[in-house]
Amino acid sequence: MAMFNYSEQEKKTLRKMWVNAGYVFAGFNMVKMEGNGFALTMAPVLDELYKDEQERKEALRRHNGFFNTHAVMFSLIAGITYALERQKMETGAVTDEVIENIKASLMGPTAGIGDAFFFNCLRVIAAGIGIGLCSQGNILGVFLFILIYGVSQLVGRWYLLQIGYSFGTTFIDSVFESGLMEPLTKSAGIVGLTMVGAMVATTVNVKLNWTITVGETSVVVLDVINSIMPGILSIILVFVLVRLIKKGVKPITLVFGILFITIALAAVGVF
Amino acid sequence: MVQSALLCALAWLIVNGIDRLLAWQTCTRPIVTAMVTGLLLGDITTGIIMGASLEAIFMGISAIGGSVPADACASAIIAVASTVLAGTDIETGLALAVPIGTVMATVNELYKPVLASFAPYWEKVAGSGNVKSFKIQLTAFALLIDRLPQAIIIFLAVAFGIEGLQAVLASLPAFVLRGMSAASSMMTGVGFAILTAMIWDPQIGVFFFAGFVLAKYLGLPTLAIAILAFTVAITYFFIQKQILDSKAKAVETKNDEEDFF
Repeated sequence: MAMFNYSEQEKKTLRKMWVNAGYVFAGFNMVKMEGNGFALTMAPVLDELYKDEQERKEALRRHNGFFNTHAVMFSLIAGITYALERQKMETGAVTDEVIENIKASLMGPTAGIGDAFFFNCLRVIAAGIGIGLCSQGNILGVFLFILIYGVSQLVGRWYLLQIGYSFGTTFIDSVFESGLMEPLTKSAGIVGLTMVGAMVATTVNVKLNWTITVGETSVVVLDVINSIMPGILSIILVFVLVRLIKKGVKPITLVFGILFITIALAAVGVF
Repeated sequence: MVQSALLCALAWLIVNGIDRLLAWQTCTRPIVTAMVTGLLLGDITTGIIMGASLEAIFMGISAIGGSVPADACASAIIAVASTVLAGTDIETGLALAVPIGTVMATVNELYKPVLASFAPYWEKVAGSGNVKSFKIQLTAFALLIDRLPQAIIIFLAVAFGIEGLQAVLASLPAFVLRGMSAASSMMTGVGFAILTAMIWDPQIGVFFFAGFVLAKYLGLPTLAIAILAFTVAITYFFIQKQILDSKAKAVETKNDEEDFF
């Protein structure tokens, strides 16, 4: 295919990325979710493109940020990010913020598409075939399930990686040539911030369990707060954390701080 | 019994390890897990047949007494183990899938904050720039530590029965579990805060709240929100383009006039 016309170096990097993209769930945690997998997937790219050792370390740390999407769609975003990192090093037109904004914009919608296709469609087909054979004690059912549902994901990941890279390259090239990087940066920011807001609404939860009893009446605090604005506590939490991070508080302090404060408050019945 | 219990824990670690390194969520499905458990316990045919029923249950095609248990992989191992080891019929084995699902859900909640507290450590490893050590540590973590407490639970459940485990978990003060679960759902906020601090732009920061309202108040799926955000972004992009174009034109005509005079 003419679309996938890469140099030897690009092929090598894409192959390494594909192997590392299997680590999506390795070290999965509630703070960064798939951040470890994404940093590892981007490592070959940074090795190829970054000449300055300090910059490379910083970029690897940056890609270790929050990331979450479907495991196969993951490599589409990784491919696009490869193209963006290349453009950043070659022309300097793409900034770190643009890269993070585009990552943030894509992770939500791709997760929806990936979950719908793989969980609700492909897995049902694979299981339907597998269950039929397995219920007669035929081991072929298990292998067919692995082939249809599992191996197809590995193949899909390889092609999505290349599609992402090719798309990213042509798209950014055309914008760059038209000299419209400045408006694109802001546009990416609009989508990025909207999606981060949406993801905060669905994933960050402050589960207050606090009831104030005064004489005969009791007030459920969470209901009162939510009647002002549903989920306002999640917004406050995130922006307090943003402030603390901008002041230079380390994430480790925040993570353990949240853990100890929450458990201590749970003991007195707030959570 | 202890030996069989160890084999069950091993089955858990094998299927989870493969899935963690290939990220294909295939081997932890009951249809594969049940076969692997059956193979290790020496009765692969029972494993395969039970795999079919268990997969049907977890696909939502059929149910055990109207409820779908919480943890597909653990339920498959426990169900196959009790059928093969105790020689009960398949239905009795399947009935055990419900309590282990509840136990696993509790253990997962308790383990989440522990895994979350590793996040700053991973950031440090990534920031050191040593990719080889990063990858080796992630591999070891994925194979052993990521799912270790659950493996121990499987071992204990097969060796000593699920009732004891339920009793132990029930004796935990309720606030510990509530606190842990509340903490892990707030910790995601740290990840988002780091991201937000990086991409924050006061001129367009208001879009954060637009996204929040669309998701929380209107309950829109992310794809729909992305399309709406994209509509605004593309409109902004072309307005900016027009401004840039007209500026360029103004400069051009100005130059023309100067030439004329």
